[in-house]
Amino acid sequence: MASRTLRGTGATPRSGLGTVVWYDPEITLPDAGESVDVDAERDRFADAVETARAELERERDATAERVGEDEAAIFDAHIQFLKDPTIKDAVEASIEDGRPAALAVDDAFGGHIEQFEGMEGRMAERADDLRDVRDRLLRLLTGGERVDLADLPEGSVVLAERLTPSDTAQLDPETVAGFATVTGGRTSHAAIFARSLALPAVVGLGEALNDVEKGTEVVVDGDAGELLVDPDEAEREAARADDGADVVEESVATSDGREIEVAANVGRPEELEPAAARGADGVGLYRTEFLFLDRQSPPEEDEQYEAVRDALDTFPEGRVVVRTLDIGGDKRIPYLNLPDEENPFLGERGIRRSLDPDSDLFATQLRALLRAAADGAGELDVMFPLVATVDELEAAIAAVDDAEADLDERGVDYERPSLGVMVETPSAVFMADEFAKRVDFLSIGTNDLTQYVMAADRENERVGHLHDPTHPGVVRAIARTVEQAHEHDAWVGMCGEMAGNPDVTELLVGLGLDELSMSAVTIPDVKVAVSETEHSAARERAESALRVATRSELHETIQ
Amino acid sequence: MSKERTVEIVPEAGLHARPAALFVEAVNDHEAEVEAGPPDGDLVPARSMIAVTSLGVGQGDELRLVADGPDAGSVLDELERILTTPEDELEA
Repeated sequence: MASRTLRGTGATPRSGLGTVVWYDPEITLPDAGESVDVDAERDRFADAVETARAELERERDATAERVGEDEAAIFDAHIQFLKDPTIKDAVEASIEDGRPAALAVDDAFGGHIEQFEGMEGRMAERADDLRDVRDRLLRLLTGGERVDLADLPEGSVVLAERLTPSDTAQLDPETVAGFATVTGGRTSHAAIFARSLALPAVVGLGEALNDVEKGTEVVVDGDAGELLVDPDEAEREAARADDGADVVEESVATSDGREIEVAANVGRPEELEPAAARGADGVGLYRTEFLFLDRQSPPEEDEQYEAVRDALDTFPEGRVVVRTLDIGGDKRIPYLNLPDEENPFLGERGIRRSLDPDSDLFATQLRALLRAAADGAGELDVMFPLVATVDELEAAIAAVDDAEADLDERGVDYERPSLGVMVETPSAVFMADEFAKRVDFLSIGTNDLTQYVMAADRENERVGHLHDPTHPGVVRAIARTVEQAHEHDAWVGMCGEMAGNPDVTELLVGLGLDELSMSAVTIPDVKVAVSETEHSAARERAESALRVATRSELHETIQ
Repeated sequence: MSKERTVEIVPEAGLHARPAALFVEAVNDHEAEVEAGPPDGDLVPARSMIAVTSLGVGQGDELRLVADGPDAGSVLDELERILTTPEDELEA
């Protein structure tokens, strides 16, 4: 059979060949006109509720054991929604009127889901809970299968409407050949997770994906952003042979000798060794949130010190850029009492929280960092997230001074790390010169910067075309940042997803970036791209790119 | 003869997710009809998770509880305990 190709957005520059398994099967509701046996439908509903409850209890226990009690609590809420007498009464009345049980369930939940959807903050989350409970019942009533993501046969390709980060975390890259989703963009959480697992993935394939049936053989081509359905022998062979570029262990330079540091973005200690093994020169973004997640209270200074020192020991010749705690927005930590905000991405997040109200946590983290800088093998650099004003930066630097004074008083060894600012807000772009005068480096976080420059939510596929760092608006912001940094003798790196895309490596080198930091999986490809780039030609091309008006013109210029 | 009391909510999440689930579960474990609502507003059946969650009760809000039945006193004690215990100290 001839293959056909669906187009989406590639998440990982990898291909995988496998057999389709659908997660969240489509639920086909019965016809309203169908005549039903009222007693039988009533029994089926009761059985479905009982089975759903047993499933929820099992999942609650498993989650409590693997993740934690707090995360498991959501299943208790689901159990209570399942038992809700309002739902039960409505379903039973509807069945008495001759409706099939599945339609009765769909009706009974529908109004409540809409009601919660119209509300704000936590109330809107309840709409998702009700939808989960409804879909669980509908699956049981319509005979849909349930897929256990953690236990898939070898060579499975998971297809889904969407995958949550916790869904994605269950996929085992050793057995799963890849995944593809209807929704999502390159910087959606599922896509970022896929890269950290080096799992072939294509997202945002649209409704056409729903026509691909279970058991079909497919190639997930994360490089081209395509899903090949029923691939021919040549396509299978190509997918099997795809291991990406060979690892380049030494640091790289352009063909005319300009050195570019290629580093890894790391979110968990377990990712440090694999990043080194893929040829990372260092860590360009070490997210410290992992230290604060999945627990009941913040980590002690010593625990943080050890984690950072271990990272420095993994890269004795390189540097590790640690980002101070960056929560708020979509990242929540239960014990930190984050406010419910109408617009969390424009709210209290990043450095805003570290200066107040989390200044104690910030002080503890800084002391741990300063101690690790003295004891770890590699070089430590520290950067502050979401800085928008010089006042914030000066307050953050003052907090470093205070941490030094505290350690002096305690008579503990420490070293002052290089300090830097993450450029993620339009204000930081405009103020880059003032920042560069005060710190040693800037690091451009293109995911958030793109979101704020383009005013486009990265999780919202309706504006996905705007959430693209290759829009001239974003490219000019990058250029301005680099120019201002260099004018004031600060080095400048990039730690957004854009940095890991070998198709734009020449542009980034041409714009003058000194360092590129990315998911470890793309490091070998970017190192090859750097060594194939000629710096002088790249500069000319980047200058042309700064004169174009549209994204398509920009793509033509950099091709 | 129904009993009632008004309680100020302590858990940070208000009456959401875990506290709400424990609240509804406690109602269902007792022999009493319980209604809940704002001190000066309409009451809803407290055995319905949907109804309780829809109240949108946050930390610091007051909640009026009215119980009727053999367990009225003990269910009010238990609900008050749930509503006045910080979430991280709540025992499931």
